[in-house]
Amino acid sequence: MSSVASQRPNGLALFILPGALLFASFFFLPIGLMALMSVLTGNPVVMPKVSFTTRHYARMIGDPYYLEVIWTTIRIGLVTTLVALLIGYPLAHWMARIKSRTGHALLLMAVLAPMLTGIVVRTFAWMTLLSDKGVVNQTLMSLGLIAQPLKLMYTETGIVVGLVHIYVPFMVLTLTGVIGRIDERLEQAAENLGASPLRAFLEVTLPLSLPGILAGSLLVFALAISAYVTPILLGGFQIMTLPILIYQQISANFNVGFAAALGIVLLVISLLLVIAYNRALGLVSGQRELQ
Amino acid sequence: MMKALGSSRLSRRRFLIASASLGVGTIAAPYVARADDPTLRITGWGGKWGEVMKAEIGPAFESEFKCKLQIDSAFPYLPKLQASSRSAPIYDVLHTNSNEQWAAAEMGLVEPKIDPNLVPNLADVYPYAVSDKIVGVSIFTSAIGLGLRTDKGYGPITSWKELWDAKYNGVRGGYVIPVNSLGQAFLMMCGTLFGKGQTDLDAAYAALEKLKPIKIVDFTGAMEKMLLSGEVSLCVIHDSGIYRYDGQNQPTDFVSPSEGVLSLEQVLTITPGSKMKELANAYVNYMLRPEVQKRLAETVWYSPANKKVKLDAKYDAKLLTTPEKVSKLIQVDWKWYNERKDEIDQRVNRIFRA
Repeated sequence: MSSVASQRPNGLALFILPGALLFASFFFLPIGLMALMSVLTGNPVVMPKVSFTTRHYARMIGDPYYLEVIWTTIRIGLVTTLVALLIGYPLAHWMARIKSRTGHALLLMAVLAPMLTGIVVRTFAWMTLLSDKGVVNQTLMSLGLIAQPLKLMYTETGIVVGLVHIYVPFMVLTLTGVIGRIDERLEQAAENLGASPLRAFLEVTLPLSLPGILAGSLLVFALAISAYVTPILLGGFQIMTLPILIYQQISANFNVGFAAALGIVLLVISLLLVIAYNRALGLVSGQRELQ
Repeated sequence: MMKALGSSRLSRRRFLIASASLGVGTIAAPYVARADDPTLRITGWGGKWGEVMKAEIGPAFESEFKCKLQIDSAFPYLPKLQASSRSAPIYDVLHTNSNEQWAAAEMGLVEPKIDPNLVPNLADVYPYAVSDKIVGVSIFTSAIGLGLRTDKGYGPITSWKELWDAKYNGVRGGYVIPVNSLGQAFLMMCGTLFGKGQTDLDAAYAALEKLKPIKIVDFTGAMEKMLLSGEVSLCVIHDSGIYRYDGQNQPTDFVSPSEGVLSLEQVLTITPGSKMKELANAYVNYMLRPEVQKRLAETVWYSPANKKVKLDAKYDAKLLTTPEKVSKLIQVDWKWYNERKDEIDQRVNRIFRA
């Protein structure tokens, strides 16, 4: 009996199998192919003589332009994350602590409402606001506050504004769950012991919400460095980021190998970030086993 | 007898089944009837071009040649062709601009020339359409020149060099050179204007540096919108991008600079691995027919490549329809350009970064 039972397929394994196959087919296979293409001289499926090469990576390291692009991408990601956190944290705190159910529902709707509109539409809305003939410049000029339009578009600031608008909900929703689970009585106890509300927040609530801050920041950073539509529309190709460069290499230079190498670099940056996140989370929460 | 009559009564269930069958049959009939028809897979633009191809030109070709035309208008086409098998390419006929056709030919993805024996209408095209600067055949061309806002009081423009005038700072428009044919052609023009010729890249880079501040876009449709909205007042653009708003009282005009206009060719090539070679050649020949050329030219304001096309006066006055007008066209050596594209891209990306 026992041998029959051991031969019977595990129900849970069968349940997981379709998902695992799907994940392998649509995640590991494409990334594996991308990694392979990044070290080949061409596409082996359609080209007869293909060999291994490191020239795509050498090109990236050898030309400071590509390193500048990588740094621009990371810088935009970091600034977007920081601004999204500064805007999102107070909102998330308010949402987590509001007593009124209606108030909570209204706040939740306010956070989610922008997500019901596509990224392209939202970015075009920013373009109508920030362009030289846009609402902001025209208003300031009609009020006589400026003589020439302010350069609001085609700058990193313009891109960050657009990205923050898109990714703040991700930060807020991540933080709300974490802050909501913090026992309010801990803050009250700190205040009873003589701490000011600010000190109670800084020494009790903020440290306890660090896992949420890290998770939200990781999510926003990963989304911001891989964003394509917003940097292209609000940056007008004058701010080059890795996703734009990858698209340019595929669509206009037809250099799939170099595009794959750039993609791998973007992936490695994200992976390093996840590792750093796990380490940081382990340290702040005292749960070393997370590492 | 009564039973037989009774069984033929129309019940609700029978009515629904019959209706559903009829519906499915009606929808499926054209597909079933044409299931055996050969399919020619081509590329083509969207917008007005796509509309007239879908409504008139495409169905007329399908009807005449008893085939199905499958048009991919989701740009970019070349990476998709590049990823498909050489022996079973994703397209039979590639329609795109000349620079990409050269890249495709260099990669062996398209046949470099069209056989005049298989495409008789090739005998009637202007020399530029099959020149040594062209892979395949150019079925139409646009003239790349300058687009001007006529309501800003800038006065008449005659030369490309006026684009560098400081009064256009902030309202000057150009393209993302690595991804746009007009931008790439304009870079070559800069070499001619300020250096020893098209291939004088150093002179071109220096000229581009002096063009700043400039608003750059990745495709011509975006430039049209910028010019119409007044975001730019003087820009590099093709004549079709201005003329297509004819009759709408837009304060814009196309300027053909005295130094000449650049050629933006619409090129057709056939893929070597196509299993529909006969049909592909028939399609190229069909697109060069005078009546097809006239219909498309008068819809999208492209200058026809066939010398025998007689356009209506309104179009004839503006498009390149005579040997004298066609002689103003400056063709770019795309083979030379593509060999240096990576180097050029790196340089211009640096020039135009914010």
